[in-house]
Amino acid sequence: MTGKNLLLQAVQGKETERPAWLPFVGCHGGFLIGKTATEYLQSAELMVEGLKKAKALYKPDGLPVAFDLQIEAEILGCKLHWADEVPPAVTSHPLALGKKISDLPELDETKGRFPIIVQTLEALKTEMGGDTALYGLICGPFTLALHLLGNDIFLDMYDEEDYVLEVIDYCADICIKSSNIYLDHGADVIGVVDPMTSQISPSHFEQFVTPAMNKVFDHIRARGGISSIFVCGDVTRNLEVMAKTRADNISVDEQIDMAQLRGLCEAEKKSFGGNIKLTAVLLLGDEDDAKMEVLDIMEKSGNKGFILAPGCDLPYAVPSQNLVAVASMVHDPYAREAAKSLQTKASDSFDDIELPDYHGARAVVADVITLDSTSCAPCQYMMEAVQKAADKAMVKVWINEHKIKVREGIGMMVKLGVKNLPTICINGEPTFASIIPDQATLVKAIEQAALPKMSVTS
Amino acid sequence: MAKNEALFEAVLKGKRKDVAEIVQQEVDKGTNVAEILMGSMVPAMAEIGDRFSRNEAYVPEMLIAARAMQAGLNILDPLLTQAGHKPLAKVAIGTVKGDLHDIGKNLVGMMLKGAGFEVMDLGVDCDIEKYKEAVENGAQCVLLSALLTTTMPYMKEVVSGLAGCGAKILIGGAPVTQQYADEIGADGYSNDANTAVKATKVVLGLAA
Repeated sequence: MTGKNLLLQAVQGKETERPAWLPFVGCHGGFLIGKTATEYLQSAELMVEGLKKAKALYKPDGLPVAFDLQIEAEILGCKLHWADEVPPAVTSHPLALGKKISDLPELDETKGRFPIIVQTLEALKTEMGGDTALYGLICGPFTLALHLLGNDIFLDMYDEEDYVLEVIDYCADICIKSSNIYLDHGADVIGVVDPMTSQISPSHFEQFVTPAMNKVFDHIRARGGISSIFVCGDVTRNLEVMAKTRADNISVDEQIDMAQLRGLCEAEKKSFGGNIKLTAVLLLGDEDDAKMEVLDIMEKSGNKGFILAPGCDLPYAVPSQNLVAVASMVHDPYAREAAKSLQTKASDSFDDIELPDYHGARAVVADVITLDSTSCAPCQYMMEAVQKAADKAMVKVWINEHKIKVREGIGMMVKLGVKNLPTICINGEPTFASIIPDQATLVKAIEQAALPKMSVTS
Repeated sequence: MAKNEALFEAVLKGKRKDVAEIVQQEVDKGTNVAEILMGSMVPAMAEIGDRFSRNEAYVPEMLIAARAMQAGLNILDPLLTQAGHKPLAKVAIGTVKGDLHDIGKNLVGMMLKGAGFEVMDLGVDCDIEKYKEAVENGAQCVLLSALLTTTMPYMKEVVSGLAGCGAKILIGGAPVTQQYADEIGADGYSNDANTAVKATKVVLGLAA
């Protein structure tokens, strides 16, 4: 089964053999190819290049075509402020400057940056559309209304209720037009991204947002498309009303308890996704932090109708290795087992486990960290490779297998600084991780490790 | 201080016309102006702040309460000055350079004002010079806001730039954490508009 099929099964609420993986690569794609967000988000060529790089590195099942909630607002007359490492920000609000809804420009695929989006989407369909689900992310009706009205919308919700409802309804029509553009050109899922709804109460959500959202979701469904409601920010209190909208899927940010969301979505027969921490884990953390976080999310979310994703748009400069670590958790069951041992590691200092005296040993010491060579095929092959190389090498080799199913093994893994399973350490140094070396390479590495010992004894 | 329940409720529910009417009635009756403010209006803002922290009130509820509070303050301010009532302290708030987001910054400013502080709003996209100027103009505490992970590092530059100026520095905003505040040497941190008031009082020695 392709990653795309797996993701489409998950988004439709079905059980999958592993979680579907959807990294929200927005301006981070620019970072991957050394371009600013400003350059990246205004060029189809660069977006395709960035997303191809993301595809190769992160092995995703789905990718967004673009993550920029200002595309529609720009067409409707909002001025934008561009920056190097974030998507543009809206700096003027036409409906707050005296314009009426009827004064606003028409939106279609020839306007603003939509030609770039269409070009990107079409290129991606050719390049990776066979095995990657493509998400069209559109600016949700409430956030778009805020772009048009400015912060006054919050007071207008009390002072001019009917007018705010009219603006949001107009924005829902814009959402329908932008989803049509994506669907016409082959997008697989439409994500209605409405982060500003995290700032309003459930009753305001139901009054102002639900009718507009449902209009968009019904339209997408009538066209045979799949829809997702996607809110960045803390929507704990709004989860129930979000679950009652007619979207097929709910995607949430890092503050949400996935066990709670899972329960709500099961009841409403919706799929759900999220919610890797963007700043603390992906941007500022390391690979181990990313793996632990993903393990925790996977345990809470299960494999039915679940899509693993960052909480929101990936920050520009997220270190790639952290997302590669997430990808390994998705695709490699051994990586998941190794991460479980990291969980144990966090609560144990392993003070009693001592490394052997590698320097003084009268042989080369090969420590092989495995899940268990009797039950894990790669571990078995790696142990066999070490055994054969030891037989062939011109030096004496002591081989120790450390299974991380037991505490001693985890302790050795921690003390040796091993991150992947299986790994061969030679004289205490992690030398071959995950990939089994060919025999000549392994023999050479063992023999070279014996050289300093020879000089010591001579 | 005696609490006027009707005034408290009117601020809490954001009824600005009611607030203005009740405040005017109290003034006409000769009630102590500081008592009107500190006994009913400030506690109402504190209550909406607590509800915000508990996720029971949201941005719109905070904004209309703050607007109602302002309707009362418009009547009370000149009378408070006449009566020699002093603000708790003078503070300055601004979103850091490169960041144009102001909803969080505005909420914190309103809550501080509602708690009895004199607030200098420096706006968005503020460089070090702007904060320095505020300190020169008497700000005893400077509050830095950022929504973006990319603008957050500028807080560190501001903290270094203001070192030794005598003013306390508080930071806040979606990506900011206590750990980050400790790392860059800020005096305090707050994760929402309500706790920002408490944090300001703590760093200025106005509360424990």
